[in-house]
Amino acid sequence: MATSDETDDRVGETYRRRAGARVRNATRQVKRAARPVWDRVRFARQDVTAATPTLPRVAYLFIAPFFILFGLFLAFPVFYTVYLSFFEYQGVGEGSLFWVDLGPLYVEIPQIAQLSFIGLGNYARLLGNDLFWQSMFNTSYILAIQVPLMIGLALALALALNASFMRLKGVFRTAIALPVSANLVAYSTVFLLLFNEQLGFLNYVLAGVGVGPVPWLTDAFWARNTIIAAVTWRWTGYNMIILLAGLQTIPQQLYEAAEIDGASRWEKFRYVTLPQLKPVLLFVVVLSTIGTFKLFAEPYVITGGGPTNSTITIVQYIYRQAFVNFNLGYASALTVVFVAIVSVFSIVQIKIGGED
Amino acid sequence: MREQRRKDAVWRFLTYAFVVTMVVVMMVPLYWMLVAATLPQEQFLQFPPRLIPGTAFLDNFAALQERLDFVRTIRNSVLIAVVYTLLSLVLCSMAGFAFAKYEFKYKEPIFYTILATLVLPIQLLVIPLFLLMAQLDWTNTFRAIILPWAANPIGIFLMRQNMKSIPDALLESARMDGATEFQIFYRIALPTMRSSLAALAIILFLFQWDLFLYPLVILESADMYTIPIGLAQLTGFQRIYYDQIMVAATLAIVPMVVLFLVLQKQFVSGILAGSLKE
Repeated sequence: MATSDETDDRVGETYRRRAGARVRNATRQVKRAARPVWDRVRFARQDVTAATPTLPRVAYLFIAPFFILFGLFLAFPVFYTVYLSFFEYQGVGEGSLFWVDLGPLYVEIPQIAQLSFIGLGNYARLLGNDLFWQSMFNTSYILAIQVPLMIGLALALALALNASFMRLKGVFRTAIALPVSANLVAYSTVFLLLFNEQLGFLNYVLAGVGVGPVPWLTDAFWARNTIIAAVTWRWTGYNMIILLAGLQTIPQQLYEAAEIDGASRWEKFRYVTLPQLKPVLLFVVVLSTIGTFKLFAEPYVITGGGPTNSTITIVQYIYRQAFVNFNLGYASALTVVFVAIVSVFSIVQIKIGGED
Repeated sequence: MREQRRKDAVWRFLTYAFVVTMVVVMMVPLYWMLVAATLPQEQFLQFPPRLIPGTAFLDNFAALQERLDFVRTIRNSVLIAVVYTLLSLVLCSMAGFAFAKYEFKYKEPIFYTILATLVLPIQLLVIPLFLLMAQLDWTNTFRAIILPWAANPIGIFLMRQNMKSIPDALLESARMDGATEFQIFYRIALPTMRSSLAALAIILFLFQWDLFLYPLVILESADMYTIPIGLAQLTGFQRIYYDQIMVAATLAIVPMVVLFLVLQKQFVSGILAGSLKE
């Protein structure tokens, strides 16, 4: 009896379990049918996670995608530019640089360009080239005026908008920063019109007060200043926003303490604001310097480098040599020199700004 | 006392005057652009200049569209910038996470190598990249524009700086619960990085949106043009149609303004994070 009961129970148990399993299976299938894509994705993901390596090797998986693109499109071109600067470019490469043939495995590295070695010839050429020095002078001139002017304006605006009595801060801030959203070429074209000698709005206003007409685009001196005005217009608000945010991180107690000591407005600025703002200010100055060094679109659109190359910048000169005259080797040498100058500039700025 | 109060009032007045002047200076070119976009060319190129917007915007737009499919140009720009931004966000946040939270061989040298390229004006990789793309037969393609700067040094730097602030204990407890490293990354690390990601997204988008020299060299046919290239082509014709160019310029501003207004706060916090947490 007991045995049969047990057997019955066991049979019943098995039956119930099977039934349960069947029901569960059925519901799972219904669910799976309802969301087949989702489930497949989940199962696939589980397989992938089960197969991925664990610490510490997983770190390489995280950096691999970044690093492959970085190596191919950033690191390689940097080295290739240096390499190219010792050669004369003679045309797009044909055939292969070298190949490995192992029956089923055939690897071929194509020749990127046809080159002939000329050693330091490109560097000698640029040192003796008037247009190179002209473009260096133009860029330095624009840099020397534009960066201090823009940072000064941005700092003054940030201080004004940070003042406790200032109303409508958000509106002013947005309005002043709006030029950042103007497209590079779009705003350059607008400036081309604004500064037009005969029809431009600026000369119209100046004529109203009895000045002008100023040859904004056709005179070497004024053309450079037009470029400066354009770049300053676009980037002042951007820098102001960064400086403003920096100002807001300065602890209020510092100002209160300075006030108790009877500090004047200037002293508060000189001894509290400036030292506290230094890291942000440095950041802004370094980025602006690099940005102005790279100037290309504005002179390309507004003046075309003219009149008589008085606004041609280094990058524009490189562009002309590389993609108008196809002197790719020479242009690479120019690039190397240019990058060296910019790097030295940035390092010096950081060194000066960083020491305390 | 009264002397002091008068001084304060003068100071306030000068401050307001300065700010308002600057606002006007910033607005005049944008307003001028709008006026030019809404007037027929003959009316716009008059002296004295017209200062009140006209009603010819749609006519100018139709004329523009006839010469260069500018709707397509905008679409190209948006498509490239969005794909680039998303791809770069994935790459930079993953790599940034590894550099912030894992120990591995050659970690420091690798990171500083990447960082060194921050100082490089990367636009100047144009020559070797052009040769590379010509070799790959990738000229006049979007992938030639999108891929090269997807591994963005600024991006990895920002993400590493910000991800350092994630407490190790949080990651460790997830590890105890059996989470895999990828789950830890996208379930725990990424959600705390929302504002940094937004900030980086703006930086990346603006970077791609502004690229000029490189697409100028790579893109050849009009149906592939991005906004800057399209605009530059418009200024290059024998007769320059300023009205059409200004319509194009006005349309080109819209996506950036929207992005800027929506994400202004994250923009500021993200940029600061990059500059302060050195």
